[in-house]
Amino acid sequence: MQTTPASSDTELQADNLRRAAIDKSVKGPVLFLFTNGAFWLMLSTILGVLAAIKLVEPEFLGNAPFISYGRLQPAHINALVYGWGVQAALGVMLWIMARRSGQELKHGKSLLITAGVFWNITITVGILAILMGKSTSIEWLEMPKFVWPVLLACFLCYAWPIARMFGRAFRPEGFMVSTWYILGACFWFPWIFITANVALHCLPGLGALGAGIDAWYIHGVILLFFVPVGIGAAYYFIPKITGQPIASAQLASAGFWTLAILGGWTGMQKYMGGPLPAWMTAVGAATGVLLLIPVGLVGLNHHLTTLGKHSAVASSPTLRFIFFGALFYPVSGFVLALNSAFWTGSALQFTQSWYSFQVVSVYGFFSMCVFGAIYYIVPRLSGCEWLSVRLIRNHFWFSVYGIGTIVVMSLVAGWQQGADLNNPEHWDQNFMNHVVNSRAYVVSRAVAWALISFSNLMFLLHLLLMVAGLGRRSSAPTLLHREHDEHALPAHA
Amino acid sequence: MSAPAHPDSTDLDRLHSAVKREKADLPPESQPAPLWAVFLLMLVAIIAGGQLGPMAGGWSFDVSNPFSVVSSGGGDPRPGAGDAGAALDPFALAMKKGASGYAVCGGCHQGNGGGIPGQFPPLAGSEWVNGGTERLVRVVQHGLVGAITVKGQGYNTPGGMQAFGAAMSSQDLANVLTYIRNNWGNEGTMVTKEMVQKIRDEEKRATQWTEAELKPFADKNVPGEITAGPGATAAAAPAK
Repeated sequence: MQTTPASSDTELQADNLRRAAIDKSVKGPVLFLFTNGAFWLMLSTILGVLAAIKLVEPEFLGNAPFISYGRLQPAHINALVYGWGVQAALGVMLWIMARRSGQELKHGKSLLITAGVFWNITITVGILAILMGKSTSIEWLEMPKFVWPVLLACFLCYAWPIARMFGRAFRPEGFMVSTWYILGACFWFPWIFITANVALHCLPGLGALGAGIDAWYIHGVILLFFVPVGIGAAYYFIPKITGQPIASAQLASAGFWTLAILGGWTGMQKYMGGPLPAWMTAVGAATGVLLLIPVGLVGLNHHLTTLGKHSAVASSPTLRFIFFGALFYPVSGFVLALNSAFWTGSALQFTQSWYSFQVVSVYGFFSMCVFGAIYYIVPRLSGCEWLSVRLIRNHFWFSVYGIGTIVVMSLVAGWQQGADLNNPEHWDQNFMNHVVNSRAYVVSRAVAWALISFSNLMFLLHLLLMVAGLGRRSSAPTLLHREHDEHALPAHA
Repeated sequence: MSAPAHPDSTDLDRLHSAVKREKADLPPESQPAPLWAVFLLMLVAIIAGGQLGPMAGGWSFDVSNPFSVVSSGGGDPRPGAGDAGAALDPFALAMKKGASGYAVCGGCHQGNGGGIPGQFPPLAGSEWVNGGTERLVRVVQHGLVGAITVKGQGYNTPGGMQAFGAAMSSQDLANVLTYIRNNWGNEGTMVTKEMVQKIRDEEKRATQWTEAELKPFADKNVPGEITAGPGATAAAAPAK
């Protein structure tokens, strides 16, 4: 309730009004991005279930090429990354930067909405093209060539006002802790996106190097876009909700700069021992392990900050999602290190464990943090409170169990596949045996995506009700540890 | 506070309640980081740097397999990596599998096949290994006891060499024999599973051989097709 004890009632009132005005100024674009993102997430998880079923039972739903595994899987990942991931990230970035900088979004709201509409139309066309068989076969860039300039332009329409807000902001001490990451994400995504697309679509005769660039692109988008947005949200919301300042400004600074320096060097270790110059894969592998340093610094900082404050995790939906998202950050760093390190990477190369890394970082870490942010931001924009504790709880638990299953199962499956392939006793075995042996893990993946689809159905419905203004009319937040209690502690949420 | 009927209500207290209950943005503190964390991160850096060196292949654009330039290492040291395509050749496959099977023999005959002077005879350059396959199969199948002479040196290990036949499949035994006949400078025809099986069917003795008993087999080879490798008599068939 109180901000700083020193400030008078009038100042407090003015500050509240200022923040309310900032929220109102970004309401349109942010809610647009969240809602459309939630639709894409729903679609992506359903495609994930279908793709996993198709991998076990290719005859499922008939033999139409439209729904074969080779088209469903890229459609699933592209919907997850561009439909949900980038859109939701832009929404969170815009809101946090507006709040951090204290700047209202003054001009260009209609441009932002237009860019959002174009983004969604382009993704729709791109994913339909994948399902029609027009995929480029470049992982994470399967959508046809023509989409990337449009996507880039739409992204820049959002990045520009965010960077401008930063430029105009008054920057008190500690301003940078979460802002760094948001600002970094604005610049890094265009850099990675332009580099990869120009190299892969415009330069002729890349040969094997093209595959390396693609692997670099995937890791770049994860480590220099999704990860910064997730950490930025965690650094903003954890102190905001617990009322506990971030433990160490020095650790925060070191964690950011090590990520900034290392993030763009990894990825090519996917082709360790392949037809790329050895130093490229070696640098990628060493960086993949070195990235445990920024991961460890951020994890340590969050640990020191939340020490003794874990009770708020039980009541605040935002903190619960952010806390578990932040727990998945070290997990994703660890999976990346396992995939990259020489000793384990030789077994995990080209196996399901690489899917494990993509899913744990994009869904387990990034999306969980963004869900937390959405549970915080949307009531402030829509003017009503979340309707149902049960929907939030189910969203949380089904997501956690689903994502945990995918990560653990893909890692174990990857280890088994890789160890079997490398075992000299199996060299004269038919490759099909390995495929059959991994079936059980793929079945568990289908079940896990089904759990996640169920959780996202509830999230989507809940969000739509909120955006339609049909939430609870109350001045008390929706907290998880008691149902609709009007006297709940106003401290959290 | 009663809920207003219309969403566009101007109940400012309620509309701004979410903003009002927020906590202020706090500047970060400067707590010290624990020392163990610093050491742990240094360990990460050492591991990462340690693998960078050997894998970088001299930082050349022409090297894609860093281990081919390390001649003494014998190729890619990762488990099972390297020339996996050779597995289709029965001789190469027998050599690979034999190399892991040899772990049992290496305890006495040593990894370099040199044995230990006065105790265990060498395999490298040994006339027992390079000579007739008939005697060699019998030694490993049933064991050998008593004084023997290898490469001009006398050996008389108490207990002799035990019989390995009962504990190994004929395929495993054949792989190991092929391996010792083609390693450490030795070069000989490969021993096939069928050859080992032939000896097993012919000879059912339960005691170890002596040098004198084996004399008649010294230069005899077990008859049978040599599917691949030195002195192959048949076209290479896919390994089983």
